[in-house]
Parts: sequence; C-alpha cells; structure tokens
Amino acid sequence: MKAMTPEEEAANIVKGALGEYVLESKIPKPRRVYIHVKPEANKKAVSTLLQSFPCAIISTITGIDLGETIEINYHFWCGKAEVTIRTNVPKSKPKIETITDIIPGALLYEREVHDLLGVKFINHPNLARLLLPESWPENSYPLRKDWNPKHVGNLAYSLEKTITLGETRTEKNAGLLVNVIVGPQHPALHEPERFLFKLDGEIVVDVEPRLGYAHRGIEKGAERLMFFQDVHLIERVCGICNVAHTTCFCQAVETLGKIEVPPRAQYLRMIVHELNRIHSHLLLLGIVGLEIGFESLFQYLWRDREIVLDLTEKLTGNRVMAEYSTIGGVRRDLTPVLGDEIKRGLRKIKDRLSFYREIFQSDPTVELRTKGIGMLSEEKALKLCVVGPVARGSGVKSDVRKHDPYAAYEDAPFREVLYKDGDSWARLMVRLDEVGESIDIITWAVDNIPGGPFRTRVPRRMPKREALSRVEAPRGELIHFVRGNGTAYPERVKIRSPTLANIISFREMIRGCYVADIPAVLASLDPCFSCTDRMVFLDEKSGRKWVWTLNDLKARRRI
Amino acid sequence: MGLDVAFFFRILIFPGFLFLFTFTLFCDWFERKIMARMQNRMGPSYTGPFGILQPLADYIKLLTKEDIIPHHARRFLFTLTPIVSFSLSMLSIFCFPLDGMNIFSNRGFEGDLLFVLALVTFAHFLLFLSGWSSSNPYGWIGAARIITQFVGYDIPLIISTLGPAYLAGSLSLAKISSSQTVPFALLTPWTFILFLISLQAELEEDPFDVPHAETEIVAGYGTEFAGRKLAFIRLSKDTQIIFGAALAATLFLGGPYGPVFFNPPNFWFIVYFALKVLFVIAVLEFVEAVCARLRIDHVIRGNWRVIVPASLISLILTVISSPYIRFLMEAQI
Repeated sequence: MKAMTPEEEAANIVKGALGEYVLESKIPKPRRVYIHVKPEANKKAVSTLLQSFPCAIISTITGIDLGETIEINYHFWCGKAEVTIRTNVPKSKPKIETITDIIPGALLYEREVHDLLGVKFINHPNLARLLLPESWPENSYPLRKDWNPKHVGNLAYSLEKTITLGETRTEKNAGLLVNVIVGPQHPALHEPERFLFKLDGEIVVDVEPRLGYAHRGIEKGAERLMFFQDVHLIERVCGICNVAHTTCFCQAVETLGKIEVPPRAQYLRMIVHELNRIHSHLLLLGIVGLEIGFESLFQYLWRDREIVLDLTEKLTGNRVMAEYSTIGGVRRDLTPVLGDEIKRGLRKIKDRLSFYREIFQSDPTVELRTKGIGMLSEEKALKLCVVGPVARGSGVKSDVRKHDPYAAYEDAPFREVLYKDGDSWARLMVRLDEVGESIDIITWAVDNIPGGPFRTRVPRRMPKREALSRVEAPRGELIHFVRGNGTAYPERVKIRSPTLANIISFREMIRGCYVADIPAVLASLDPCFSCTDRMVFLDEKSGRKWVWTLNDLKARRRI
Repeated sequence: MGLDVAFFFRILIFPGFLFLFTFTLFCDWFERKIMARMQNRMGPSYTGPFGILQPLADYIKLLTKEDIIPHHARRFLFTLTPIVSFSLSMLSIFCFPLDGMNIFSNRGFEGDLLFVLALVTFAHFLLFLSGWSSSNPYGWIGAARIITQFVGYDIPLIISTLGPAYLAGSLSLAKISSSQTVPFALLTPWTFILFLISLQAELEEDPFDVPHAETEIVAGYGTEFAGRKLAFIRLSKDTQIIFGAALAATLFLGGPYGPVFFNPPNFWFIVYFALKVLFVIAVLEFVEAVCARLRIDHVIRGNWRVIVPASLISLILTVISSPYIRFLMEAQI
C-alpha cells in the first residue's frame, strides 16, 4: 500500500472524526486540501485539525458572497499542507460559532469577516469594527456582491466618536493609569495607525491597536478589474514588499489557469524577490536604529540599501515599485553583464553585513534596548499564529520558502534562520542573517539560471476554480486566495498580509515594558499598515468629511 | 560717560550678546556639520558658504511662523519660560572669563562658579516648567523625565567641578582658569571624563536624550511650542550647549589661556576660548554619534549606582593626589 501523503492524512483525519458532516474534500494540488463541512460541524473540524497537528496555525479566514449563501473558508497551515475548511452559512442569517476560544490567532480574522461581510461570530470576545470607521452604517457590508457605495449614504464621520474610542472602557484603577494615544500621526509610526496605551508611570499596562487608517479598497477594486490589470493594483498594496504581492498573485492566477511558467522566469522572480527582501530588511534595521536613537546606524544602513535599490532599478526599471512579475512570467530579462554587476554589488553588502552584525551583537546601548525586551515565547507565538521573522525569532519554523517552496526555492541552497530568544534582539538578528542568506540565494540563482523564454502568453479568461498561493514576504507569510468565474474578472481576491497576523502579538510583547520600549518593540515587528488596511472601499467624497477645513481650524484657534 | 559706552559695547556687541549669539549659531552649524559628516551625510550646505548661515535661516524662519498657544496651556508660564530660559543661559555665559575678564569687565567674584551652576540649573527647571505648562501628555512625560534626569545628574556634575576648584584653591571661574599652567584635563583626567559624562546628560545629548526622544514622546517638553517660542527654546538649548562646553573649557582646559600669544592679547584670549569650546563640542557630538538612546530607568540607575559614587571617588582621588599635582603644575612654571 502506498504511504499516505500529508494532504490525504489531513483530509482523512477530519473525515474520520466528522463522518457524514463532511460534504466534500479535494486535493487539487500538492500541499493544498479543501474540506467542505456543514456549518454546525465547523468548530469540531477545526478542533480535530488542531489536535492532530499541534503546530497548526490559522492563516486567515476568507468570506465569499455566493448570492444565497456566504461561504467561509478557514485556511490553516498544518506544517506540511494548507488545509482549507469550508462552510456555508445562509446570507439572511449569517451566524457561526467562533473558533477564537480554541485558536486565539483567529481574533482579527473573524472581526475582518464580520466587518466586511456581516457574518456574526457567536461568542467572539470583541466583535468590534476592525477596518471600517465606527460611524459606518450597520447592515452595509462592502464585500457583498449586492453592495453599492450608495448604501453608505452620507458618511458623517464624527471625530469625537473616533477619539473617545477605547477610553470608554473603565477600570477600577483608572485613576492611576494614564492613557496615551500614539498615532494616527506620530514620529515613531511611518504610516497612520493608532495605539491607545494605558500607562502606569512609565510602564505599559495595556494597549489597544486600531487599524484601518489606510483603506483603499483593493480587494473590492480587484473584482472590478481584469486579472492582468489586477497585477498592477496588487503591486500597490505595499510599497516595500511589492514584489512579494505580485509574485503571490501571479502564482495564484497561474494555478487557476493551469499555466506553466518558464523556469527562467521562476529564477528571475526569485532574484527580484530576494533583492526586495534585502532592501526591506535593511530598511527595517535602519528604522530600528532610528527608534532606539542610534541615528548613525540608520544613516549607514540606508546608504548601503541604496546599492540594492540601484540593482533593482537596473534589473526591473524601477527603484521601488518593481512592476516585474506578471501572469505567465516576468517583464524583463537578465543579461550576463547585469548578473555580474548584481553579484559585485551584493558582495559589497555582504562585507558591510559583518560590520552590522558586530554592532548588533556587541554594542552595549543596542543590547540594553533590545535584549530581553518584548518577549514572545514559542508557545505564545504558535497560539497567536504569528508569521515570518517574528515567529522565527521565537524559534517557530515558519519559512514558506523552505516548507512550501515556490518559484525556484526548491533547488536554492539556503538555511532557515531561527533564534530561540524571542526578544526584539532575536527578531532583528533573524532579519540580519536573512539578508546574508538572500545574498547567497541571488548569487546562486545568477550562476545557475536556466536559459529559455522568460514569459509565456496567457489567456485573459480564467476558469471557474480557486487557488491559494503563499509566499514568504519580507515580513512573513503572505497569502492570496483567488477565485475565478470563467470570465476575465476575478470573483474574489483575498489578501492576508503578514502584519495582520503579527500585530496581535504586539499586545503580548509590550505589556510590562517601558514607554521607551514601545517604538523599538513595534519596529521589531516590522509593521506595514498599508499592507494591512486595504480591504475597504471607502467613498472618498463622504469619507473625507471629517477633515477640518482651514476655516474650521482658524475658528478653533485661540486668538 | 566714555566708560559707559565701552561697558555697553562689551555687553551688547563684543564679546557680549551679539558675539555670543553669532557664536551660538556657528556652534549649531558646527555641531550639525560634524554630526552629518560622521553619519555619511552632507549636513547644511546651501545657505552661505558651507551652509554656515543655515542656523540663522532656521531661526528667521521660525520667527515668521504662526505662534500657537494650546487651549489648556498655562498661558503665562508657557509664554514666559522660553524667554527666561534663554536669558538665564545667556547670563550664565556672561559670567565666564571670555577674554581673561567676564563680560562685566571684572574678574568675577569668589563663588561665581556656584552662581553659574545655580543659574543653569534654574534654566533647566524652566524647561521642565515649559513642558509642564503646555498641557500635552508628551510634554508632561518629557517634563517629568527632564526633572528626573537633572536632579540626578546635577549632583555628579557639581561634585566633579569641585576637583578643579580644590586644586585651584578657589571657587572663582577666573582664578580656576588662570591657575592652570597645565590643563586640569591632563592632570586629573578621571574627573574630566566624569564631568563630560554628566555634562552629556545635562545637555540631553545621546545616549541621554530621553527627555525629547522623538520616537517615543514626539518632542517631549517642546511638543506644543511653535514659532517664536520654539525659536527661543531652541536657542536656549544651543546656548546651554555653549555653556556646558565653556564650563568644561574653563575648568579643565585652561579657559582663555593658550600656549602662544600675539597682539592684541584680548583677541587671542577669545580665539583660544572659542577653539576649546569647539573641541569640547566635537567630543560631545562624537559620543552622540556612536551611541543609541538609553531608557530613562537605565539613565537614573546608571547615575545613582555608577556616576555619583564614581564622582565622589574621583574627588577623593584628586584631593589625595593634590600635592603631587601641585608639584607638576609648579614644575611647569
């Protein structure tokens, strides 16, 4: 008898436990499993899965409006396969049991689905708005197919309501605690986001993050554009890890249409992806230098980052927004001369890297500010389902490139960087070491790149199927779930950026730390809020109403 | 009346207010430029030759900006503190023997060392008040940090100034600087190093710049200041840096006295003094460039556990070795 593959194993475990509650199960592709269960058995399916795979984490929850029903997909990564548990709830009464009590990492995903599709999760501890503003009308769910911007009406965005959010929570010792609001505009945050910190003197007691200040409605927008146009929209999800987003989306669409990508394109994608990672990691390490008040480190790191940006420009034509991957391949070829230049530039960075490693390992002030600060233990990391360098800094194996290889990573020689410490320092060192690994990958890829075409022609229409693609973005696991409907337009595009998975752990890390640690710990997460807040279509005209005009400001000015 | 004209010229023009103001701006530029060069940047480079007029341009720009007072701020204190803080810092520099004599054309009085230290402590206290009166959480935290830090580091600073005072046998700035045939920095380097560390903390430079750590509490006590008030706050900070460097130069580097003199001596006094001040600033900036910011608890613990005991020990060491040091000083003569 043939040994069972992990995918079959997962499917059989759930089937065995649930019996007739399983409606359907399929394995369309290695490492992808879809199991359709009845809504009442949903929670049991999840708990069975978690019990049989102790290191399973929830990737995200996707909601899709099917007209009569709303389909809810729970995506889990079980160490060897991505298992999707699917269930349908009626649109008239969209209610389902929460799973947050068995897996707390699902907190934000359930709130997201509730926010955008109106599914009520019974017994969820805090089913508040995640991305939409507080004044968004009830019963208006932007990701439903019958939604129309007119439903929102005149969005009277009340500033008072937004500011008092969170402070209404009364505590017994409220008199002793100070509420400090950090953001939406704050020098330590490079993107608009708001955190409400409860301070006892200089010590942080609790924090409430509020996401959603950078909505652009990309998921909704993607449904209104054709696949090949979507590539350029998806590119704009995030400025820094744009290559990860396009690669992920293109892979999903290629799986959808069963398109074979030429091997040369796979290698080129990997090269640009890794250049992108180096640039992102150096950027973050520089920002950490700035956050802990080490400006010289910041300036040095960002100067060296210029080398990578120049190389990216030479290869792709753009410094930051690469616009490189496309459905069916890449847009530009690599010449041997440029290959040598890339290798030379990276050698320079590698030399500098040993200098930076020495700084991070031995500088006493850096050590004081990062070692033992912002602890996240391995169990907590698993429970909260963190991804990327944050997970690897706590010793959780989570590198998608290693465990779920895509592009040419199956052949590339590299090491998954793991640190056991679980503090800010470990998270930074993971990134520092990954830069070295990325340099090795690129050098190897340039030497071993196969010949042939770098792009194939693809049809515009995509069949009625679905595909889930995972890549290791610089900040962690990035997931795109794409469903086609037989036309050139996607039925649904779901993006789960790594920051949404990681932001939940910030609360865990920062409790008991000092105010001065807030920026350094937050930066060690490498949060990217423009990635995280992209799901909502907001009517610009009415949404802008809360902004005070110059005359308003003048009227309020004290003369 | 002729005497009065000379007196006012000294106070207002040279080496008084105008000269010191220009020198403050120059030092601001100097600080920024060497900092930038150490960080691989250009630094100010457009306004004037080598960007030397950039600080002046910045201040002029600030003076033209809208002056906002927040609703809940204590209006009187909020307006008063930047001006008084600047004036106090300036006044304390007036007491230094810039060209052998202080600005008021005399050699000061016995104990003017303590007088300037008191003045500058008071100037710091005004910075605390400015943050406290601005009714902004960042301002409050910054103010609390500033007072915690200064209460701590004033003590080692004053203890380390006692070393040179003991060796010179006087608490007069002029006498201390004139008694240094060999700079005290060479004779008692242990006191000099401790003095520089406490000075770094007093001036809120890295690694001690917690009271205005941008990434944590925006601009700390200065968050709510704008326009003219911000200009004065910044001038006050710049003047305090000059004060700190001038104190170090007077106590440890022999003040205005240099190895060689030409005519007119008064002019060369100033030149030597300025060079020494710039040297001290360069040292302070170098430390700032190679350090990350500490946390407030590190700063306070470091003070009480390390710096204060060390400064006491260094004072004892100075007293014990004073016969030997005096012998060295006389041998030089």
